[in-house]
Amino acid sequence: MALTHDARAARPRRTPVTWVRRGGLSTLVFAMPLLVVFGLFSWLPIGRAVVMSLQETNLVTTAWVGLDNFRTVLADPLLATAVGNTLWFAALALLLGYPVPLLAAVLMSEVRRAKGLYSALAYLPVVVPPVVAVLLWKFFFDARPEGVFNTMLGWVGVGPVPWLQDAGWAMPSLVLEATWAGAGGTIIIYLAALTSVPGELYDAAEVDGASVWRKVWHVTMPQLRGVLLITFILQIIGTAQVFLEPYLFTDGGPANATITVLLLVYRYAFGQSLGGDYGAATALSLMLAAVLAVLSVVYFRLTRSWSQA
Amino acid sequence: MTTSTTPAGPAHATPATAALPVPGATAVAGDPGARRRGRPGLRRTRPDEADRGALSPADWRRPVVRRSMRLSHGVLLALLVLCGLGPLVLLAKFAVTPTQDILRTPLAVFPNGVAWDNLSAAWNDVQVSRYFLNTVVLAAGAWASQILVATTGGYLLSVLRPRYAKVVQAAVLATLFVPAVVLLVPLYLVILDPPLLGRSLMNSYWAVWLPAGASAFNVLLVQRFFDSLPREVFEAARVDGAGPFRLFRSIVLPMSRPILGVVSVFAVIASWKDFLWPLLVLRDPDIQPLSVRLPSLQATTDLGVLMAALAISTLIPVLLFLVFQRLFLRGAGLGGAVKG
Amino acid sequence: MRSSRTTALALTGALSFTLLAACSSGSDDAGEGDGTSGGKTVLRVVSLLPGSEQEAFDAFDEQVAQFEEANPDIDVQPEEYEWKATTFAAQLAGGTLPDVFEIPFTDGKTLIENGQLADIDAQFQALPYADDFNPNVLQAGTGADGKVYAIPAKSVYGIGLHYNRALFEQAGLDPDDPPTTWDEVRADAKAIADATGQAGYATMTQNNTGGWQLTVATYARGGRVQTTDDDGTYTATLDNDGTKEALEYLHDLRWEDNSMGANFLLDWSSINQAFAAGQVGMYTSGSDVYTSLVQTNAINPDDYGLTAVPLEGDDAGVLGGGTLAAVSTSASEAQKEAAVKWIDFYYLRKLTDQDAAVKDAETLVASDQPVGTPVLPIFSQEQYDESQQWIADLVNVPLDQMTGFTDVIFDQPLVPEPAGSTQELYGALDTVVQAVLTDEDADIDALLEQADADVQAILDKNAG
Repeated sequence: MALTHDARAARPRRTPVTWVRRGGLSTLVFAMPLLVVFGLFSWLPIGRAVVMSLQETNLVTTAWVGLDNFRTVLADPLLATAVGNTLWFAALALLLGYPVPLLAAVLMSEVRRAKGLYSALAYLPVVVPPVVAVLLWKFFFDARPEGVFNTMLGWVGVGPVPWLQDAGWAMPSLVLEATWAGAGGTIIIYLAALTSVPGELYDAAEVDGASVWRKVWHVTMPQLRGVLLITFILQIIGTAQVFLEPYLFTDGGPANATITVLLLVYRYAFGQSLGGDYGAATALSLMLAAVLAVLSVVYFRLTRSWSQA
Repeated sequence: MTTSTTPAGPAHATPATAALPVPGATAVAGDPGARRRGRPGLRRTRPDEADRGALSPADWRRPVVRRSMRLSHGVLLALLVLCGLGPLVLLAKFAVTPTQDILRTPLAVFPNGVAWDNLSAAWNDVQVSRYFLNTVVLAAGAWASQILVATTGGYLLSVLRPRYAKVVQAAVLATLFVPAVVLLVPLYLVILDPPLLGRSLMNSYWAVWLPAGASAFNVLLVQRFFDSLPREVFEAARVDGAGPFRLFRSIVLPMSRPILGVVSVFAVIASWKDFLWPLLVLRDPDIQPLSVRLPSLQATTDLGVLMAALAISTLIPVLLFLVFQRLFLRGAGLGGAVKG
Repeated sequence: MRSSRTTALALTGALSFTLLAACSSGSDDAGEGDGTSGGKTVLRVVSLLPGSEQEAFDAFDEQVAQFEEANPDIDVQPEEYEWKATTFAAQLAGGTLPDVFEIPFTDGKTLIENGQLADIDAQFQALPYADDFNPNVLQAGTGADGKVYAIPAKSVYGIGLHYNRALFEQAGLDPDDPPTTWDEVRADAKAIADATGQAGYATMTQNNTGGWQLTVATYARGGRVQTTDDDGTYTATLDNDGTKEALEYLHDLRWEDNSMGANFLLDWSSINQAFAAGQVGMYTSGSDVYTSLVQTNAINPDDYGLTAVPLEGDDAGVLGGGTLAAVSTSASEAQKEAAVKWIDFYYLRKLTDQDAAVKDAETLVASDQPVGTPVLPIFSQEQYDESQQWIADLVNVPLDQMTGFTDVIFDQPLVPEPAGSTQELYGALDTVVQAVLTDEDADIDALLEQADADVQAILDKNAG
């Protein structure tokens, strides 16, 4: 076994016998699951991704093509559309998914009775299986005047809205559902952070005669800064890889208005009936990864500094 | 969580999708008090234990504040009912409404009676029960695989610490910065033709379970928790003649229940939400989870029956949530809780 | 320490063993490496679309039972199957296709070139009717080496105009007098939309079906989306007048008449669903779609009507296509034998042998499954007519509501689908159709120019 060999090589002055006697073997037993699972399903694929991005392959024959895959991807007119859409999704998701849960959480933290009811209601959509949520909302988004949302809008004399059937409306519709499905989780995170704001800070502010609004603005918000920044970055990283909604709602349509980077990766690899362009798919995913890795490092730094603070 | 290539929405960016460490981890690991009391170290994240909020009792006594808070809480509750409960109530209604009524007058209350047979059609023809079972089996296996790798790996890196531990740890940590999307294609090819095994893992639950285990987030989370365990206990056990296996089974595991609970919640939620990966590797309809099966049926199933199938698929997790509400909310709060 | 070492060894062994054993047992379910089990040849075949009605599955199972009775050494394992351009590649690469699977005519040549279909020439040539195939049809599954890799099966279709007779009546139109020109289609669509609020006319737009149907509309107006040059290379001609006219027609229906409803993201199965639910007045699709409308959408037969696609302009024609049955390259010789036996039994013998035809029809009728849906001949037209005679008494589809199609289809010029990079071409046109239906100011000329350039680039790449 290569693994045993490596371990031995790390301790060159020992014989296999002393190694076993000192518990090297039982240690290896504990190392096995991690090494096998990470080796096969994480390290190996990551290495292969780098190799494949420089190759053209149809799984039968493989050829080195240098940076051609990257050139192909960069020359694809869909790339700009996909990047733009993904950024647009992220921006809309922040616009909707950021302030709304925060406001709700700040209000909810002041609830004195039946607080559990509030949290439960807010969290309920998160429990709905995501695919069910999308299929249900797809029907809600029926663009006929008889559609669910359009009927409701009709009651107040608005609409009908084309929802998924219009290049301009499709993306906001996706974000609306995604926010519905995800806001509960964010609210609970904010609530948890709010409870950890030390009461003394408020006491001190009150001594200075601060009004309610001043307390929220000058005490609560600064205390939440850490959590806000972290949810911000997590959200960007999450939305950069959005797939479920555009795939199931619109399959990237209408007219590519909702094609995202990950959907493009999927299409390169699996979207053509006669065989995928795995090289282009990995090249694009590596480019996306490079951007996200930078964000991850920022995030990691932040969480470190915050947990040490 | 290499398989979670399907971060759904903005706030879906739980660790499952980001595969990143969460600051809450340190809150757990660094809260020995909670551990000593034998309770999960989640105490500080429980919303109902706040000492006080921004409003002081004095504020509450002011009529303006009280009235406006009551009003805004009323509005908030109404909105929460509308948004949180509304869609599910509609889903429940559609589940027993004739298809033509759903299409023509979706919001009318049973203009042409109730179609109970949607439910039986969904149960028998769509076989929701079978796919639900598949979903559960998938989640259970992913959970087991993550727990196994995370505990043994954490034990290796934190307690046993062989010489190669540093290299392993660095290699695990490095994967934290590689988003799941990179793995999509190469991991798919590994599943197609895995080294050593000699046969494709396609259409096998192992194709989902095993990659799920490769979660750097879990390993590091557990490792940091183990790091915080008192070394004296280990030494005492060693003196008493306990080998690494006894130490692991009788000392370390029992002491790490809180962190295992956290990993479990994350594991199950991630598996529950996963879509793209099972879609790619589980092609045989008989073994697909609900998340893969339902979309492939949407255009060939009568709308009323589809709605009934969706409703049944939702009912079970919602019931579980209502029963274990506190556990869910704690886990979710922990997902992003920052130590104050 | 001794005990822990022993445990360690035992554990390592046990762990690796369970892992390996579990993995291989997991793939056993699907993979049967050598294709045999208990001395029988295991053959996985495609059954019906996911979500089909229980009666349809009953009929299928009955046919499997008949086959296994006649071939006791073969164990048939049916699997649900839907060919979709956007999922097929993953199945092909993943090796998860059944041993016998179905592909459209358009993909045969490339799959053969890529070595992704098994060579079943020997088994095929042994069929008694091997020489009777319509050569134009058989050609779709024949390789450059002259061998047959995929057999025309299931159906060869011509595109027809499907219409909802109930909506026609509600709009005050005569369902027995369907439209015969595109202007009449437009007027009827408007009448239906105005009277019922449903989409008078709809078209597919997703998963490459939008491009497929735009090609249909192009052919019907005398245009072509691709030409084959003398040296065998292809030139994209997406910006031809027929395609422009077809898109302008859609634009007018959508934006001037507002007669195409409100939902435009439709693919093959979702437009079928909408049609069966009474939300679509008319749409174009393969003439064989009625079978699927019954099997998966439980359509009311009284509401169904089929007529011919109007042809206008010089060189106008009806797009024809079909389905090939192919065998996976991983199949063993025994499986290939079994596969061709199955293809013979399930798809073809009922077209060439009276007893088989009657038996097949009786089985279907017993489960209320459609018999007699109009298709085009895989063999000669005389032979097709004869086979229809055999089962004339058993036909249970409303043929009298399909005469608008059946009366003229053999007089309409049949044009095959574009041959070069067909699915990519269709995919590029999807975007154009979606743009025209969802953006009132879509610039048709610019969209087509762009799509034409994109497709030409793919064609050049594949040629070079």
